[in-house]
Amino acid sequence: MSEVTQNTYWKSLNELAQNKEYENFVEREFPENATELTDGVSRKGFLRVMGASIALAGFAACRRPVQKILPYSNQPEDIVPGIPLFYATAMPFQGSLTGLVVENHEGRPTKVEGNDLHPGSWGNTNAYHQATMLEMYDPDRSRTPLRNGEKASTSDFATFAQEYFADTNKRIAFISEANSSPSFTALKQNALSKFTNAKWVTYEPFGEDNAIEGNRIAFGSRLRTHYNYTNADVVVSLDDDFLAPTHPNNVEYAKQVTGRRKVTSTSDSMSRIYSIENGFTLTGSFADNRLRVKASEIEAFANALAAALSTRVNGLNAFRGINNQFTGSDFITALADDLASNAGKCAVSVGLDHSVYTHSVVTAINTSLNNTGSTVNYLQVPSFDNQNNSQAFADVVSEMKAGNFDAVVMIGTNPVYTTNTDLDFASALTNVEEVIHFGTYKDESSKSASWHVSRSHFLETWGDGYSFGGARSVIQPQIQPLHDSISEIEFLNTIISGELTSGYELVQNTFKGFYSGSRFENRWKDILHDGIDITDGYNRANVQLRSITPSQTSPIDGIEVVIRPDSSIYDGRFANLGWLQELPDPMTKITWDNVALMSPATAASIGVENEDLVSVAVNGKAISIAAWIQPGHADDSITLNVGYGREGIGRVADMGRENSQLLDPSENYGGVNVYPLHFSLFASGAISKSSGIYKIACVQDHHSLEGRDMYRQATLEKYKDTPMYASFAYVHKYDVPGMKEAAELGEDQPISLFDEQTYSADEPQWGMAIDLNSCFGCGVCVIACQSENNIPVIGKREVNRGREMHWIRNDRYYVGDENNPQAVHQPVPCMHCELAPCEQVCPVAATTHSDDGMNQMTYNRCIGTRYCANNCPFKVRRFNFFNYPKEYLTTGEDPDIIQMAMNPEVTVRFRGVMEKCTYCVQRVNRAKINTKIETGSPKPADGTVVTACQQACPADAIYFGDLTDESSTVAKMKRNERNYLMLEELNVRPRTSYIAKLTNPNPVLVDETNQEPAH
Amino acid sequence: MSKYEYVPEPALVKGNHDFASITRLVTDVNLRPTPKLWYLFMLIANALLGVFLLAVGYLIWEGTGIWGLMNPVGWGWAIINFVWWVGIGHAGTLISAILFLFRQDWRTAINRFAEAMTIFAVICALMFPGIHVGRIWVIYWVFPIPNQMAMWPNFNSPLLWDVFAVSTYFTVSLLFWYVGLVPDLATLRDKATDKIRKLAYGIGALGWTGSNRAWWNYEKAYMILAGLATPLVLSVHTIVSFDFAVSMIPGWHTTIFPPYFVAGAVFSGFAMVLTLMLICRKVYGMEDIMTNDHMEKMNIIILVTGSMVGFAYIMEFFIAWYSGVEYEKAIFMLRATGPYAWAYWIMMLCNVISPQVFWVKKLRRHVGFTFFISIVVNIGMWFERFVITVSSLANDYLPSSWDYFSPTIWDVLTYVGTFGIFFTLFLAFLRFLPMIAIAEIKAILPQADPHNYDENQEYHPHVVEVPKPKVDRV
Repeated sequence: MSEVTQNTYWKSLNELAQNKEYENFVEREFPENATELTDGVSRKGFLRVMGASIALAGFAACRRPVQKILPYSNQPEDIVPGIPLFYATAMPFQGSLTGLVVENHEGRPTKVEGNDLHPGSWGNTNAYHQATMLEMYDPDRSRTPLRNGEKASTSDFATFAQEYFADTNKRIAFISEANSSPSFTALKQNALSKFTNAKWVTYEPFGEDNAIEGNRIAFGSRLRTHYNYTNADVVVSLDDDFLAPTHPNNVEYAKQVTGRRKVTSTSDSMSRIYSIENGFTLTGSFADNRLRVKASEIEAFANALAAALSTRVNGLNAFRGINNQFTGSDFITALADDLASNAGKCAVSVGLDHSVYTHSVVTAINTSLNNTGSTVNYLQVPSFDNQNNSQAFADVVSEMKAGNFDAVVMIGTNPVYTTNTDLDFASALTNVEEVIHFGTYKDESSKSASWHVSRSHFLETWGDGYSFGGARSVIQPQIQPLHDSISEIEFLNTIISGELTSGYELVQNTFKGFYSGSRFENRWKDILHDGIDITDGYNRANVQLRSITPSQTSPIDGIEVVIRPDSSIYDGRFANLGWLQELPDPMTKITWDNVALMSPATAASIGVENEDLVSVAVNGKAISIAAWIQPGHADDSITLNVGYGREGIGRVADMGRENSQLLDPSENYGGVNVYPLHFSLFASGAISKSSGIYKIACVQDHHSLEGRDMYRQATLEKYKDTPMYASFAYVHKYDVPGMKEAAELGEDQPISLFDEQTYSADEPQWGMAIDLNSCFGCGVCVIACQSENNIPVIGKREVNRGREMHWIRNDRYYVGDENNPQAVHQPVPCMHCELAPCEQVCPVAATTHSDDGMNQMTYNRCIGTRYCANNCPFKVRRFNFFNYPKEYLTTGEDPDIIQMAMNPEVTVRFRGVMEKCTYCVQRVNRAKINTKIETGSPKPADGTVVTACQQACPADAIYFGDLTDESSTVAKMKRNERNYLMLEELNVRPRTSYIAKLTNPNPVLVDETNQEPAH
Repeated sequence: MSKYEYVPEPALVKGNHDFASITRLVTDVNLRPTPKLWYLFMLIANALLGVFLLAVGYLIWEGTGIWGLMNPVGWGWAIINFVWWVGIGHAGTLISAILFLFRQDWRTAINRFAEAMTIFAVICALMFPGIHVGRIWVIYWVFPIPNQMAMWPNFNSPLLWDVFAVSTYFTVSLLFWYVGLVPDLATLRDKATDKIRKLAYGIGALGWTGSNRAWWNYEKAYMILAGLATPLVLSVHTIVSFDFAVSMIPGWHTTIFPPYFVAGAVFSGFAMVLTLMLICRKVYGMEDIMTNDHMEKMNIIILVTGSMVGFAYIMEFFIAWYSGVEYEKAIFMLRATGPYAWAYWIMMLCNVISPQVFWVKKLRRHVGFTFFISIVVNIGMWFERFVITVSSLANDYLPSSWDYFSPTIWDVLTYVGTFGIFFTLFLAFLRFLPMIAIAEIKAILPQADPHNYDENQEYHPHVVEVPKPKVDRV
């Protein structure tokens, strides 16, 4: 420790990188002797290993960042081991960014949460945000730069850049992912002014370019449409799945939309959502009125809607003459009436990937409905390029082919994988002298590159950016870069200046531009502390609608093939994250794979069933993929998701192409690469049955409620007539069995055979309520829980055997007609029954009740009879059939970085023990201890304990708290007449209850859209 | 003959056996050189035992995940096999204890043999609760052993009752069997010529002299043990059924389970005794002792218990419908028509339909046919446990959790391997211990009946005339 001065340690990574020992340390992550840590990881063992590595590398502490960052709240004096610190940061995604707060244990980030102050999240997150923790600790991330495939270092690259880019006449093509960062935007301008022959193109396989272009047609300038659903009484989504994490602003939108669905009394109102779509999306399942149409008919629908509205509002006269298959339909008429009567309080949106024209029509509709400024704003985004990037990208590629570029710099993108085969991007690269790829993984594009530079994870580096709605944040690093990697601003700066400048300086310089002189210091601290710079954002544009010439493209006759990003792994960038791969698709409940989704009628017409291989062809390119029947899908429409079929990315992404204990060679793994067919959102195609099947790991085999009452719902009108519609007595027409007898005895609950626990008045009594009216089924709770509670990833084979480990699952049922059903979502964690059936049957008393009313699992006592799981009516208990954590935490020969992602407050479970939701007992106890210390009260105040699932939920569907506190939110929710218990007749007295769903369908359309509630 | 006239029973032992010939017939098996065929069978049994050890070794090494278990089916073949083997282990004690108390003399021909089967079946059964747990190395926590954690097991848990019930049953069965063996071991000791056998049988014989006092004590002990064992016969499977009945899973939570399980256990136990008896009496030439009359009596018990089981199956449906509980109704409909309907109908065919053929006297007395049915019954009883265990778990309350259970090769090997344990022990038993209770069978010979002697101690056997039935069929 003495050789390295504090100064060196704090200042620069690069100086240290010269140190041989440090290089080894970076390479190996843990010293030789640490490899003995192979079975699971105890906290003690982990700390021992950490200690050992510190001694070896001569480090004073672990990987706290070089520059000082400020804690988010409640900073204890210095770092107290065992007490986590919370720092604000933000996650960039798709040209915008979401504010986060990251939990740090002794300098090691372990859990991502939303930032309460950030207007893009209001404290919540989506599954990608949660899973990014795993990405940072992904052992398969690119660890060193590569020069022509040979290991190199970042300083080698700097040396190269200094020399190579000295010639400012070099013809360079910059291909970058969308990035909202002001520092990055400034560097981009620098690059373009320095290299006069350079071209810059922003390339995203699923970007918002069409939406921006649509606004350009409508308003004459490239603007971002930003909705404010808080003001929207009527929401219309034309194939726009804004609730899914694939939408760059899903957290804010989900928050706004669900916020309008919070009904606590019969006098409350609720928004109405219409969804018109081909597949069955989260937004569609949350909608009150859903119409299934082909994706290629969306444009016609928008035209017909504009035409119908043209007689009701001003400004759409140009569309009056339009006549197509939707004209005059009941749905259009009802929708147009509803919109017209809610003008100024409605919002119409269309999927980002739909055509420029459709976007312009929707913009015209919103403008004519006077929604601008109320539910819709148009933002001027400085980071937008002033060009149609889809066109620009195609031009750049053809110029590359023509040999017009000396160098191509790919920043964070992977076009070799994400472009279709016709474009032949890989061979275009061969005509370029220097191909420089900057990315998180050694991916397809890096393999065709002469330079690959490792990208730091955003939790390791300084950065900045704007949220979708324009809130500015600084990205604070939580840890030193684990590998020899740099951030995108450092990378771009290296190319421009030839020097490695730290991101801290670059970001500070940018902010010094915003705040001059002494103001800077104060603002900087505030921004870091709050994670948000409230003083500035995107400007709202003053827009004037231009005249739009209606055009009519006829929809695809016959089969259309629709290609979308995957709800779990997006465009493939998250393919190596086991948490996301194993997260069941919110609608299909499929894990680990992609499939060809089609309606039951389409499947019948080509004679396929689930898992049958089909050949899907577009433009002469064909792929072979498993068919999957999606009730509610539009007929003659096939939906494919991208991101799968990877090779050589990482152990998770290319499952099955490497030997692993998790795999069975007789089964299929890894999914299918769909990008060869991806020309646009939809294309005319063909589908035919081919021979063979492809095993799919789906976590829910049965999709009908079988007439059972675990999901209860009613229309808003019915609720107003019958507020008790969700009660057992109303649903069954008789009272809960045993209630009459109990009443005679003066009890308020049916009697039990077993001794009933009495609870001390000194203890809080924990309970949960899940609002089914808010939950839209995204699954972020599953990932948040997985991250908080160290839940292992078990692999496709094990999922296929039905051994998924998630502590909270999201049940999805279809209600009604098979061709056009309603889909409902129901998150199911442990119910923490007061008379828990699991507790009675355990022979060794490994599961017992705590004084604060939680059903607890003592892992050390469990012998694994699985009797508790059998006797659980909700089937929420999960068994470690194998030593899953070992497989998951010690992947391959690598001593495991991934172990650092584990929460030290939660035991990693060994083989043969049962586990289940604990109501985040570690959080509960932390709050109890803190409250006791601070106030002396044994009962934490309402809102002090926030479970991981509750924290993450963008719909605020989960309420948790102390039931003995009459004024707690959860107690209030449980007093609501819509509150009901699942399987109430069993008298197990669950502490988790549900708030029954409400729908608000357009009364004119009730029959057509099949909104008859389950009960 | 008037219709009230006493119908004499046919002689229990056929052939003109006297005490000496009986002794010779039985002990020769143990004292003569080992037949080559025995080695062959022992080799096969040992191979299966090896399979069992391999399967269990791999299980302990790798985890219960090698089986087909999953959410929601947490119990699979291990519990099915456990219940199946315990069920088989019912016949022995029933024959030796209950039939003893009811003075059913025909039991003497098969009691030793059935008791041995009981003990070995219970050993096979006991393997499963031990190995099916996730952490085998702490299985001793189910016993109420004082420990530094100051933790008792959970006395509310049926699994704990199971531990006590099965281990008590095993202990009492073993004692009962051993006490019965003492006089016969003395016979073997006296007949053995080589030192090792003399010593070994001598130790087992506990210094038996055959004195009046020894016999007096023996009879008392045997009677007491029979009295102790009788309730156990009923309790053990009752408690095994509690594993299911006390839980709250539809299709498990039924009060009919105790009698239904006991009847099923007797049913399968007798079938197993028949399977083994028919082979052994052929191989060892014991047809004089284990006669077709015995076989017929056992077939009648199979018919009765099979009908009881069938009645229980139908009652379950009625109760499910009558209860009005939708989950109960659904699970029974699903059993008969759902994903496991194939298993359900195998069960119905084997357990309810097949024993009904024993209404026909000719078939009751047909050796080959009886042998066939005895195997069919045990297949049926295995499927009964499969249907109960798996189908109820696979389709319980929340349809979202429903899944289909498929076994793996390791489930199969573990099950097949238990036959290795069973037959290894059983072949050793046949070779080294008298398979028939010599002392007891002698007591039912006409020579042992004092009424057959005149005042001069002269033997005048009573000639038993069995009247010919008027019709062939009863």
